[in-house]
Amino acid sequence: MREIAGHWPGRIFLLVLLLSVVVMAVLVAQGITETDVLLFGWMTMPLVLGIGFILVWLVAYLIYFFHFWPYR
Amino acid sequence: MFDYIALGLFGLVIIMLAAYGYRISAKTAEDYMMAGRTIGVVVMFFFVLFAISSSWTFYGFPGVLYLHGPGYVFFIWGSVAGFACLYMFLGPRLWALSKLNRYLSPVEVLSERYESRALRIMLSVTILAFIVPYVGIQPLGVGRGFEALTGMPLWVGAAYTSVLLVILVILGGMRIVAWVNIFLGTVYITALLGSLFWAVSVIFPEAGLVQAAQEIVVIDSQKLTTPGPLGEYTPVLLIGTFVVGLMAFSWPHVVIGAMTARDKTLFKWFPLLIFIFGGLFFYIIPFIWGSLVAPAALPGITDPAEADRVVQTVIQLYLPRWFAVFVLMGVIAAAVSTAAVQLMTSSIIVARDLIQGVLKPEASDREITTIARYSVAGIVVISLGVTIFVQLGIGEEAMAMYLTDVSVPGFAQWAPALVGGLLWKRGTRQGALAGTGIGVLYLLAGLLITGSDGTRFLLFDLHPVVPTLPVNALVYVVVSLLTPKPSEHIEDIFFTEVEDYLLSDRSAQ
Repeated sequence: MREIAGHWPGRIFLLVLLLSVVVMAVLVAQGITETDVLLFGWMTMPLVLGIGFILVWLVAYLIYFFHFWPYR
Repeated sequence: MFDYIALGLFGLVIIMLAAYGYRISAKTAEDYMMAGRTIGVVVMFFFVLFAISSSWTFYGFPGVLYLHGPGYVFFIWGSVAGFACLYMFLGPRLWALSKLNRYLSPVEVLSERYESRALRIMLSVTILAFIVPYVGIQPLGVGRGFEALTGMPLWVGAAYTSVLLVILVILGGMRIVAWVNIFLGTVYITALLGSLFWAVSVIFPEAGLVQAAQEIVVIDSQKLTTPGPLGEYTPVLLIGTFVVGLMAFSWPHVVIGAMTARDKTLFKWFPLLIFIFGGLFFYIIPFIWGSLVAPAALPGITDPAEADRVVQTVIQLYLPRWFAVFVLMGVIAAAVSTAAVQLMTSSIIVARDLIQGVLKPEASDREITTIARYSVAGIVVISLGVTIFVQLGIGEEAMAMYLTDVSVPGFAQWAPALVGGLLWKRGTRQGALAGTGIGVLYLLAGLLITGSDGTRFLLFDLHPVVPTLPVNALVYVVVSLLTPKPSEHIEDIFFTEVEDYLLSDRSAQ
């Protein structure tokens, strides 16, 4: 992690991960998981929110680790 | 009769794989404990995913979802992020350090980093205290499966699992434990996914999962949202559950896996598998089982123990018996794959850290390997004691809660020393000892001293991780800053050399 925090792409990567956690916490606090909306007729909001969270981490990881990670 | 033949053959395959592993092993401590540091990315994926996907994913996890609605899934989102963090942020350093210095356990790494034998004892005892009872949960899970399917007493399934475990770990060592997890993981995924598809097509033939969701809306629509029908999963608890999941990066049996990697490229590719196959595929299966299929197919269960085995009950009710036996095999696979890695980790800590590191420093390579093998049997006996304890009805508690309420907070107590030791040059021996010691004592006091109504008032009735970990981390940082910084020699070994090595081509070979 020292190598990641040591350059700008790494700091942006860490910021994206942190922001995704903060955004998810804010959405949870606002009660998005309490709504009875079902995506595609069966996907509950805690599932949808979590999948969105994982996708953000996946994309950030792919960009950073395959293009900028110093040990790649 | 079919049940016994199938389960017998299944056990035989595991024993044969273990025997093969013993035959091809190099008979050195590094080979037995670290798989000769030869684990590649695919084997590592199965190794780690099924080290953490225990019978809990079949019983405990769907059971809580069934009772409380989908909120508990935030533990999974946190765990996926936690495992990814381990391999993205800590793994490369831990691996390089242990490879360069021939370390055989993560506790050894930290004791050398902080130059402290006392810390080695403290961490070893703490990790063993929280991991050994969790090993016992696995035979218990299988025992429940046996009981539900065949009507045999719980101890039969527990004993069957324990015998397989002992043989697998004693003979096979870390390499075969990792390789067997491919076989066990394949059986488990096939059973879990196959049973889901089959059950959905049989129970909800018109519109599948959409039909299941519609039926739950009619029965109890709160089962599809938070805070759930019992009002448990409030926003605060959801965020807390996520944070508890994040602590997965400190599970010792997962941390040790990073030390067995073949080269640094593993750490580049591994998170991809964790995100895609772990977060977006594997854990969704028990989630659908527990939050949609089971509540729609078998509504009305309120007892936690019955909820724990609701998936198996649905399978037995709606699918042929031979398939239920296959699913039980999958559960045994999940239990054995997790418990085997936990047993390996425990035996390494006993042999390398407690025996060779403290009691008998002159012990040879061969001696500590033998001790590690013998200790496996002892650990299993203790873990079976836990199983019998539960069988007698003392301290019985839903499986999911044992993992998240007891084991995870215990594992979390070495996290500040681990993260600080690998990433923070200023972290000191005194800081690590004070932080870990106070964190563990606070946790034990908080869990054991309760009010007359059962409230954990020392923990402010919060999840045990929430108050104990910040206290631990704060003490670690403050005491470290108030005490002399580590020597340049330590800085060279744990930071300069490691960073140079990871930047060089040598670490990719």
